[in-house]
Amino acid sequence: MDILERTRIELTRRHFFSRGATGLGVAALGSLLDREARASTPAGALEAPQLTPRAKRVIFLFQSGAPSQIETFDHKPALIGRRGTELPDSIRRGQRVTGMTAGQKSFPVVPSIFPFARHGKSGAWVSSLLPHTAGIVDDLAIVKSLHTEAINHDPAISLMQTGSQQPGRPSMGAWLSYGLGSQNDDLPAFVVLISLTRGKPNPQGLLSRLWTNGFLPSHHQGVKLRSIGDPVLYLSDPPGIDRALRRDMLDGIAALNTLRASETGDATALARLEQYEMAFRMQASVPELTDLSGESQGTLDMYGPDVREPGTFAANCLLARRLAERDVRFIQLYHRGWDAHGNLPKEMAALCRETDQPAAALIRDLERRGLLDDTLVVWAGEFGRSVYSQGKLTKDNYGRDHHGRCFSVWLAGGGVRGGVSLGETDDYSYNIVRDPVHVHDLQATILHCLGIDHERLTFGYQGRRHRLTDVRGEVVERILA
Amino acid sequence: MGPRRVVSLVLVVGITLLTSSAALPDTHWAWIAPKRPSPPEVRGSAWPRGAIDRFVLARLEHEGLSPSPEADRETLIRRLSLDLTGLPPTIEEIDGFLADRSSDAYRSLLHRLFASPRHGEHMAVTWLDAARYADTNGYNNDTPRYNWRYRDWVIGAFQRNLSYDRFVTEQLAGDLLADATLDQKIATGFNRNHNVTSEGGIIDEEYRLEYVADRVHTASTVFMGLTLRCARCHDHKFDPLSQREYYEFFAFFDQIPEKGYHKEHVGNVNPVVQAPTPEQQAELARLDEEEKRLAATAEASRESEEELRERGKAQRKLARRREELVKKVPTAMVMQDLADRRDTFFLERGAYDRPGAKVAPGVPKVLSSLQEGDPRNRLGVARWLTRPSHPLTARVCVNRLWYRVMGNGIVATLEDFGTQGARPSHPELLDWLAVELVESGWSLRHVLELIVSSATYRQSSYATPELLRVDPSNRLLARAPRFRLAAETVRDSALSVSGLLVHRLGGPSVRPYQPRGLWVEVAVRDDSYSGGPYVQDHGPDLYRRSVYTWWKRTCPPPNLSVFDAPDREFCRVRRSRTVTPLQALVLLNDPTFVEAARILAERTMREGGVDVESRAAWVFRRVTSRRAQGVETRVLVAAFRRYREAFSRDVTGAKRLLRVGETKRDPKLEATDLAAWTAVASMVLNLDESITKG
Repeated sequence: MDILERTRIELTRRHFFSRGATGLGVAALGSLLDREARASTPAGALEAPQLTPRAKRVIFLFQSGAPSQIETFDHKPALIGRRGTELPDSIRRGQRVTGMTAGQKSFPVVPSIFPFARHGKSGAWVSSLLPHTAGIVDDLAIVKSLHTEAINHDPAISLMQTGSQQPGRPSMGAWLSYGLGSQNDDLPAFVVLISLTRGKPNPQGLLSRLWTNGFLPSHHQGVKLRSIGDPVLYLSDPPGIDRALRRDMLDGIAALNTLRASETGDATALARLEQYEMAFRMQASVPELTDLSGESQGTLDMYGPDVREPGTFAANCLLARRLAERDVRFIQLYHRGWDAHGNLPKEMAALCRETDQPAAALIRDLERRGLLDDTLVVWAGEFGRSVYSQGKLTKDNYGRDHHGRCFSVWLAGGGVRGGVSLGETDDYSYNIVRDPVHVHDLQATILHCLGIDHERLTFGYQGRRHRLTDVRGEVVERILA
Repeated sequence: MGPRRVVSLVLVVGITLLTSSAALPDTHWAWIAPKRPSPPEVRGSAWPRGAIDRFVLARLEHEGLSPSPEADRETLIRRLSLDLTGLPPTIEEIDGFLADRSSDAYRSLLHRLFASPRHGEHMAVTWLDAARYADTNGYNNDTPRYNWRYRDWVIGAFQRNLSYDRFVTEQLAGDLLADATLDQKIATGFNRNHNVTSEGGIIDEEYRLEYVADRVHTASTVFMGLTLRCARCHDHKFDPLSQREYYEFFAFFDQIPEKGYHKEHVGNVNPVVQAPTPEQQAELARLDEEEKRLAATAEASRESEEELRERGKAQRKLARRREELVKKVPTAMVMQDLADRRDTFFLERGAYDRPGAKVAPGVPKVLSSLQEGDPRNRLGVARWLTRPSHPLTARVCVNRLWYRVMGNGIVATLEDFGTQGARPSHPELLDWLAVELVESGWSLRHVLELIVSSATYRQSSYATPELLRVDPSNRLLARAPRFRLAAETVRDSALSVSGLLVHRLGGPSVRPYQPRGLWVEVAVRDDSYSGGPYVQDHGPDLYRRSVYTWWKRTCPPPNLSVFDAPDREFCRVRRSRTVTPLQALVLLNDPTFVEAARILAERTMREGGVDVESRAAWVFRRVTSRRAQGVETRVLVAAFRRYREAFSRDVTGAKRLLRVGETKRDPKLEATDLAAWTAVASMVLNLDESITKG
């Protein structure tokens, strides 16, 4: 007879449940568990979808540091003849630039050093840095007219992820966890994956604020799936405690908690018991999730050679697909290093090499498994980059400063129309001339795809009802399927 | 129209009247200064111990409920110890209290706990959330800062029961007091605890104004429960606070000589003062004296050449000692006002680059005005706030005290006393306590003592089915509150019951165990931008109280944030209280808790008697503060026997378990037994009851 069996005989949860209890029936107590006290409520704050949901989950491929739109999607042939000429005042219009280039005497414009070509049936322009993305353009809705007020990383990333430039608001994943709840009993609703950049040795920092619950209850916070140490913090049992022993300990804890709850009438003890069970299940479900040994060679090849190395963008894209398969609600990836103030050609090439193939593979992989229909994938940075060179412009080198007035992002999958391109910028990729889309509009659109009216997913705090899109945001209908 | 329709019509009209009068902004209860109400008459006159209980009981009687019986003494001493010191009582302390049958046993226990240095440390935690104290500068680079002298000031202030009016005044305006002491200047760090950016390319003025705004938001939230921040871009939508008043209040906090950009990246941000600790001050004074003495000998007598040489040597030695000491002297970030006032402007839509009319410093009128003698600076604000006629300061303060022991505020929205905030559950009690605070000379300890001495507080926390049905969230207080301990208390309790906890008051923040690579994942890698990787401490600093744990805002201590500790990026006066699987993983697997279980197991074997039953009973009692029932002991005993058997089949496993954590194991204790007791101790530490105040 093993340890487990003996425990069960000696004292089992069922024993307590069936025995009734000294003070209060445990089963009755269980029904009193208030939602606030429970981490994995199957239902979220929204009782029913407000709109018809097109997507059930989101994968957000966040490109932190801000990739240049000029070297990726916003093709500007008119710049080629103007290389090295001064940015006209008629374009800059006295708009503010960052403190890093505000002191520059000259603002020489520079076209992309990488050529562009049209791809797919839609004929979208994509630069030579993104050959794999070029192969899936007909699945993408490319928005070239996103804009933000922020011109520095910290406020801009915070705006993109939380709807506010300043700290304190819940992140998008937390909002969805709060609004829609979890679809999986063994994994958290909001998972964060951070890839370890190799393309740039010293990338910008990230902040736990980006996956924070803000003023929402803290179980809506994103849970990091890490490539260093335990995939989820403290997931592994201590050395010497094997699974059977752990199970036995949990049964003992459960028995004692149940007994106590029946005396005190405190349902929290039962909620805790449920959470210990989920922790136990996570100890199995997370290693199963991160174990890629069952993936076929063909699949691994799609994502590229980095996929075998944990913590790379490729490995994280594959994990994102596996999380989507397991119905995790919001899967947030971060890739850092796009902040090319100098040496842009070299840095962009390295970063695109790291990210292009895995991102495209993710779309194809989701598609062939029938998951793309109800998974919304978003690829975006926090702002764009300046048409003028930061630092010295030489024959084969230049840099670009931050630029918030326009940048390019793409969306694919659940709810989004593939093969469309929205928005247009001027010849300098400086100002938007058609169909501007604000960050809050993008957020409203994402929520819309998940069946949420962004004006009605709110939480009362400090005297007002807050929402992800603050006081703005309009759904971008034209990219919707 | 039948009678039922009439009734419902009357109801509707009544409710409409009620809600519309509540919505009338200038008659809102919180804008009117509290007056002391007389405690109501109650039928159950035997129960109340004081005024608090009469307010509570009157409400219960109105609802047809009666209070719960008094909790047993084991529960009471645990409750008091956790509430007043953040640590559970020792078995000796429990036995002492059980044996003390004198009539003032409870009071003397209270006073012992108030006098413990652990009291100040525990009280400080909540305030440090509100004051957004942390050990880094926040924002993108989140470099280290070393402003722990402020944290220690807060601990000291609670420890010596600094009156709340002084507490407020010194933090808001310590630098403006006549003959301000170093301590009073350190206190002004309160207004400097906000994030400061060192991100290249930021626009200086945009961030400088952000810091001023943060001061306004923090001060209005913690002192007044006011959502003044809503008026930054437009007039407040619900409360009578205009955008103009926002900028008038802003003007008080806009006078500091500071920049938006933290040029040095790492370390404390100017303005700072040299802030030697009391020990360093004593040492400096000794050096001064020694130097004076040497100088005096030189003047008093003609020295031989040898004497001259000796004196020179001694003086050089002193100079070296001084130099070494001075290098170690910490600085403190403080408030200062510019000699020439900076003009403050109304900002259109709150935008830094859209200044409108110039504004003069002022306070929100709905709350009362500045008086003639009040200086038009932060000291004036402090005087205004601490005037007994201020409608909010005392109420917000007692509400916070109530919240920390009762788990809920009388006003549930601690951060919002405005028209959108929750209505008080016991409005008269709130006012009574507020007036009591002021009339006691703003003594926090006096009010806290009243609360924890009340019959309300001393009730049992057991809920009957009826109470669960009628009042599931216990707003009416027909039972004592029961809720999970704060993050810091969860960790400190485990360290304490195992005996690992190192009691050392104050000093630089420490870096206990933390999973590998957490900072690297998020930080800028260049040290001059990030301040370097997490370097874990060793020895005693692994076991200090959590109030001393290094707090990195963009990556707060993971085993605390999982238990709802905030990131300290901005003012927080209320924490959520969640139950999650990640908490289970921390308590079961974090080396902090595994090591605590291991050392607790050693104590169990040494102090818990010789047989398995008595040891099981001992460890249960040590952690939960109560004697185990027969069935509870049996569960633990049976578990121990199974685990010992399992470990005797896997001695290597046992030994591996006993290597978790840096404290060496007691080699005299047999490995298999010790590992089995470690597993049992871990079970006990994981009980809901062990991390709950009931």
